[in-house]
Amino acid sequence: MLEALVAKLADTPWSIELHESLYMYAITESTHVIFIMLFVGTIAMVDLRLLDLAFRQIPVSQMLSKMLPWTVTGFVVLVISGAMLFMAIPIRTYHSLWFRLKCIMILIAAINIAIFTFKVERDKASWDLGPVPRKSKICAAISLSAWVCVIVLGRLIAYNWFDCDNINSPAMLQLTGCPADAG
Amino acid sequence: MSIYHTAEMIEASALGQTIRESTWLFPAIESGHLLALALLGGSVLIISLSVLGVGLKTSPAEIYKGARRYMDGAVIILLITGLLLGVSEPVKLYDRQAFWVKMISMVLAIALTYFAFNPMVRRGSSGVVIRSVTVLTMASWLMVAIAGRWIGFS
Repeated sequence: MLEALVAKLADTPWSIELHESLYMYAITESTHVIFIMLFVGTIAMVDLRLLDLAFRQIPVSQMLSKMLPWTVTGFVVLVISGAMLFMAIPIRTYHSLWFRLKCIMILIAAINIAIFTFKVERDKASWDLGPVPRKSKICAAISLSAWVCVIVLGRLIAYNWFDCDNINSPAMLQLTGCPADAG
Repeated sequence: MSIYHTAEMIEASALGQTIRESTWLFPAIESGHLLALALLGGSVLIISLSVLGVGLKTSPAEIYKGARRYMDGAVIILLITGLLLGVSEPVKLYDRQAFWVKMISMVLAIALTYFAFNPMVRRGSSGVVIRSVTVLTMASWLMVAIAGRWIGFS
């Protein structure tokens, strides 16, 4: 079902125009990379604070509230540019092992954010300037590692080692959802 | 000896060949370069946003104390990984306009950061001069990143 949807997307004029345009794809990809600096950059600073590795004299509540709008701005631009990049090359990206792993890492990061927001940071008033509790440090460590993986996996999508026409093993075909006769 | 000849010599070097011929080395170094870019972005932004009055309310000088080693670390990793990437394909880079734009904006960005932005933040300067320096510093790093990405497209 998803497969058919992706194939349909690939046939839309939007997809074809994005793919064939001389500059639009390059501009979209550059935008995607630039906004990593804003998104992951601000997240990393907050995580370093939670890990007691920097900014110990700045209250955690201030760190979270003042950085969040910038992180969200980065996120919005990354989702839009990311969706455009997918739309430009839908079928190959859909079957990309790296893209699939990247989606899983984003999901893990999102669940981690939800746990932090709805459970862990609720009593932050009591440790705003004091020692950061262990559970917060664990969230920060998961966040940093997940986003590092997302960046690396995103970069690897460009490489064709495991593209449908380069793989043969049944396990890889299973993981990538490639048709068995492609190679 | 011309720059082009030097590029040819670097390309033929053992280090250049090793990186070029390995499947994983180039992507691995590239990933390190990107991760350091994110760290640089975060550490420069957290100070800059505060200088411009749209970030933390803590004084920029205080934020600088915490961000400094991450900024320095990011710049060092970017220089080392960037050098390794360059060593693997210097002849291609020699021909790319985007590469030279990147090198010029990088020198500008490093000079602005270490000779204007950082010293002024440390001194606790305020007013239109430090704000202008901040915007210029951010713009020059942005230029480095854009030109860097463009090397792959041109």
